[in-house]
Amino acid sequence: MIRKLPCILRFHGAAAQTLYRQQPNIILTRNYAADAKDNRNNEKTRQSSTGSSKSLPAARNPFAIAQEKTKNTYLTMVEIFMERDIHRRNHVEFIYAALKHMADFGVEHDLEVYKALINVMPKGKFIPKNIFQAEFMHYPKQQQCIIDLLEQMEDNGVMPDYEMEAMLLNVFGQRGHPLRKYWRMMYWMPKFKNLSPWPLPDPVPDDTLEIAKLAVERMCTVDLRSKIDVLETSELKDALDDTWIVSGMSPEQSKLLREHSKQKALYIEGPFNMWIRNRRINYFTLRADADVDFLAQLDERQLDEDDVTKIDVPFFGRAPPRRHNQLGKLRSVHQQDDGTIMAICATGTSTKDSLLSWIRLLERGNPVLGEIPVLFRFLSAVPAKAEEIEAPSSVPAKASDINSSSN
Amino acid sequence: MQCLVRQSQRLSYWLPAAQIHTTAVQRTFWEREKKSGYKTKLPEPSKKQLIIDGLRDLKAEMKLWREEVTEQLTSDPILVFRPGEIDVAFDFKAPDVLEKWTVTTDADHGEGKSNATLELSASGAGLFHGEVSSQHTKDGIIKRTGYANIRTKRVRKSFKRETTYDWTQYNMLVLKVRGDGRSYLINLHTEGYFDLMWNDIFHYVLYTRGGPHWQIAKIPFSKFFLSSKGRIQDRQSPIPLNCITHFGFSVAAKKGMDGPFGLEIHYVGLEYDPSHQEEFAYEMYKTPKYIVAT
Repeated sequence: MIRKLPCILRFHGAAAQTLYRQQPNIILTRNYAADAKDNRNNEKTRQSSTGSSKSLPAARNPFAIAQEKTKNTYLTMVEIFMERDIHRRNHVEFIYAALKHMADFGVEHDLEVYKALINVMPKGKFIPKNIFQAEFMHYPKQQQCIIDLLEQMEDNGVMPDYEMEAMLLNVFGQRGHPLRKYWRMMYWMPKFKNLSPWPLPDPVPDDTLEIAKLAVERMCTVDLRSKIDVLETSELKDALDDTWIVSGMSPEQSKLLREHSKQKALYIEGPFNMWIRNRRINYFTLRADADVDFLAQLDERQLDEDDVTKIDVPFFGRAPPRRHNQLGKLRSVHQQDDGTIMAICATGTSTKDSLLSWIRLLERGNPVLGEIPVLFRFLSAVPAKAEEIEAPSSVPAKASDINSSSN
Repeated sequence: MQCLVRQSQRLSYWLPAAQIHTTAVQRTFWEREKKSGYKTKLPEPSKKQLIIDGLRDLKAEMKLWREEVTEQLTSDPILVFRPGEIDVAFDFKAPDVLEKWTVTTDADHGEGKSNATLELSASGAGLFHGEVSSQHTKDGIIKRTGYANIRTKRVRKSFKRETTYDWTQYNMLVLKVRGDGRSYLINLHTEGYFDLMWNDIFHYVLYTRGGPHWQIAKIPFSKFFLSSKGRIQDRQSPIPLNCITHFGFSVAAKKGMDGPFGLEIHYVGLEYDPSHQEEFAYEMYKTPKYIVAT
């Protein structure tokens, strides 16, 4: 119950603030109406089709109508706002508008920009002067605005620095709620930032080949001896697609391939999805059916030590018990219960032809592959060759197998 | 006219009906029910049907009760948890496993466009797959969406009495999964008696390697951190392993990760590892008064 109490207090605090602050609100509303009319006229003349300014009280939204959307323009607009007049009226609305349009300017991962926005807030004005002000969220709208800004930083994975703490202290004082948010972020974000056992560059490269390399490398961490090769289909004489293939295979997989029965087929399966941060790539596997006899034989070796119903007495007429098959083969990590994985690949076009080229290129190191039948087994429709998916001439075929989720 | 508008605004402040708020609304005084307003009203079966269902369930419940009593009388609990042995808590290759899980997405309440299903994969394991999307209806209330979630049903004893899992003897969570490179969230619900504790969930991340190979992830329970309604709490504590009520996985469309996902789960197991001595991975130092947990 103790955890609730400050919430109740804050609720009443917010109520008091709202009732108290209603008088000036009306004046502001009138201003917005006039501004909106102005803006409508402006928009008619400029023929701008942004339309996003409708939802915001700050009717003249410089971010929506900016011609050049770069970081410099963004910072200049913040600077213009700060120098326009001494009172910096509507700065909360300005910061909200600025936050909303960050992605358009491509600055949502930039700490400097967030700092510039916090810098818009007046220093010293919002610092509570007594304990009641401190407890009842002094200037709640301004505090909430900066909390929302910090939350946007958190969502975009931008970690604040100590300068930002100094700035927030200057604006809201030691007891400010944005400070609490900041301290929470500075406690947890470094803890989670590098937690992944498979670290990735941030941001991930835009090039499909680079992403494919990252993906195959990550999948091949299961076997440290794996080798990742970037192959070109142009090395082959009769390949239809001219593209790249990122192939991952380890010596152990080559060995398994050599030992594979020539009567049993191999399957090229896919396309499966693989995510590298927010990029998705398709990959294919070369797989054989599981060696059921071998796996069953392994199970036999694992004796149930808890089973006391059959204890052999070693003294009477029996040879002492020996561990079964002590010199037998060990199970490879590639021998999964549902199949033996021979190789993994990602190709530039994800077509049947490029996969065929992959097998031919693999044959160079593993000549046995030429004698084993290889079958396609696709989960979804896969085009035969690159021409079929090249329909819109503006989109290159190489980009076809990757879905940047931003679109 | 303006006076009227102002009056209605003031009135609406006290009536929690549909209105426009100028500040963040905090209705955290008490919770009416566990779903916090997301409870879907389902049509209640007729009285006759209830009696028939009750009588039918009686047989199974009696059987469960008999087992409980026998176990109590036998009084032979496991005392030694041998290191290196994995006790499987949720086996996805067991029969009727899918009935024990509930799948939820943001589309359930019309707040998003994600979809997800839990079914058996070709290899016989559980496959939690679907598509998460951060698109949502722009109603001005929902800020961000895009999640899919699976959760076990509340663990219970005979006659529909609620109980909890007791995992105090273990210190590791072992998962055999095959993912797609996404990171998933492991949720251990420790639902308490009071409304404050209804939403207590301990989380940790499950990073998946991706690829065709199975992956075994071992996560110490000491790494799990407390959060409530998606917010990490300031006052942390080690997870009370005797109070686990649900277990689940979540996946989100955060940071532009909209699109298909797939997590194949063979089992979720528990292990006691004597070499892991850590009690809680996060600092428990004293924090300033009136700042923390406000």
